[in-house]
Amino acid sequence: MLINNEFNEQKIQSPLQYIWSIFKSKNITVIAMWAVFFLIIVSIFADSILPYSHTLQHPEMRLLPPYWVDGASVNHILGTDDLGRDTLSRLLKGMQLTLLGALLITFSISILGLIIGATASLMKGVKASIMHHFLDALLTIPTLLTAIILIILFGVSYENSLLAVSLSLLPQFIRGIYICIENELNKQHVIALRLDGATNLRLLRYGIFPNIIEPLTTLLNRVFTMAILEITTLGFLGFGANSEQVELGYLISKSLELVYLSPYLALFPGIAIFLIIIVFNIFSEGIRHSVIEGEE
Amino acid sequence: MSTLLSINDLSKKYRRSNGIFTSSLHNAYKDINFTLEQGKTLSIIGESGSGKSTLVQTIAGLRTQSSGEIYLHGKPLSKLSLQERCKSIRMLFHAPSDSLNPKATIGRILAAPLKLNSNLMAIERDKQIKETLNLVGLLPDYLAFYPNMLSSVQQHQVALARAMVLNPDIIIADEILAGLDISLRFKLVNLLLNIQEKKGVSYIMVAHNMSLVRHISDHIIVMHNGEIVENDETETVYSSPKSKKTKHLLQSHQPDYRK
Repeated sequence: MLINNEFNEQKIQSPLQYIWSIFKSKNITVIAMWAVFFLIIVSIFADSILPYSHTLQHPEMRLLPPYWVDGASVNHILGTDDLGRDTLSRLLKGMQLTLLGALLITFSISILGLIIGATASLMKGVKASIMHHFLDALLTIPTLLTAIILIILFGVSYENSLLAVSLSLLPQFIRGIYICIENELNKQHVIALRLDGATNLRLLRYGIFPNIIEPLTTLLNRVFTMAILEITTLGFLGFGANSEQVELGYLISKSLELVYLSPYLALFPGIAIFLIIIVFNIFSEGIRHSVIEGEE
Repeated sequence: MSTLLSINDLSKKYRRSNGIFTSSLHNAYKDINFTLEQGKTLSIIGESGSGKSTLVQTIAGLRTQSSGEIYLHGKPLSKLSLQERCKSIRMLFHAPSDSLNPKATIGRILAAPLKLNSNLMAIERDKQIKETLNLVGLLPDYLAFYPNMLSSVQQHQVALARAMVLNPDIIIADEILAGLDISLRFKLVNLLLNIQEKKGVSYIMVAHNMSLVRHISDHIIVMHNGEIVENDETETVYSSPKSKKTKHLLQSHQPDYRK
């Protein structure tokens, strides 16, 4: 972690700076990072970027192919669907709902899960074991099934699908966090800090969290990927978005009946889901590897 | 010399399961009695599994005893607050590379006990930390370093500084000499003895190396299966060991200079 620059000054980097310098040196992760920023910014400002409203119908231009195919119109770069709605607008809107929804889920799960997981690992006795066995029972049910059951209870809508997905992913995340913290708690530097008279909060802040960044990125990445897949699956099955809220899975399911007439309608949302997942995975894998290298 | 620490009938039982439904009580250690005086060094030796580590962890406050009481300056430890306990009894761990937080600078590691256990201002804390670093023989430059940038003996020095920064009465060292090679081991031993001379601190050492133990300690306790089998002045133990176990330990010991 020592840097010698030309003036022979010794500069000590903090672990975060060191991780960042390793991260910067990897081309593919930096590209993935910019792609992640690009996707997020496009999703946030999708409403202002959209060429047309995603519900605006152009009855005279129906089922247009993308512009590079014969018989296309330059006004609709990615073509139109059976009601003449612009595919690009619908795709961007869909990406907004799916990606931002998944990010929202990841964020809220991480906060809630950290609080619950940390409390659980610092608790002892009956309370802790009741909670663990309750969580273990929840873990046996597949998350998608939990989400579907929850959404039937809440009623079908996009917002409820987000809620259902986050609740279904929460037990896994809590379990993961709990195991990470539990492992750290047995390490000697945490025991030493406890002997210094540190409170639990201080123990978490200085002793534990700086040392669990690596498993934490893996966990968050898994939650994010699962969230994207579950939101789109719920949309595809018709449990999530309605015709107003065109979410990527919903887009695919509506295009399926037209797949022989215009395969592009199902292709583009599929590519979008694929891109989102791969870009975020490369990004988080890059962070994870930098953290591991930084610790060596 | 005044009695600093006295331990009365200390016992620890734990439950170990034998089958699926049955479990039985075992003694980690039982009926431990000894006293420690100001400025003296007490060594606890014994085979692994003899309960010596559990015993010192109890004294340090990591575990609780089943029965018995520890008295510090004549006051029972259970009546003292965590802060008072931290201030007078400090522990050194087996491997400093594990016991120093890899994500905190040396400065922060050393400031933590002061922040948590004293009302010193930031400037006074700084002064205290620098004095302690000087005591263990490190330059103040190291305050900005992270533990993995230091050599193993420097890490030991930092761990020692963390223990000494509160000016404790007792330092408990759990096999700290085992992981070092022979020259560094002597360096650390000399450092420990120097600090004892300057500050009058008492040590409780858990050790394996019999010859080093003879050099350091004033008093030796030999433990076997959770019981004290020998408790006497160092020279008496070495010249005329009473119990069979001590003789065995003395005979089986061969100085290992493998590292």
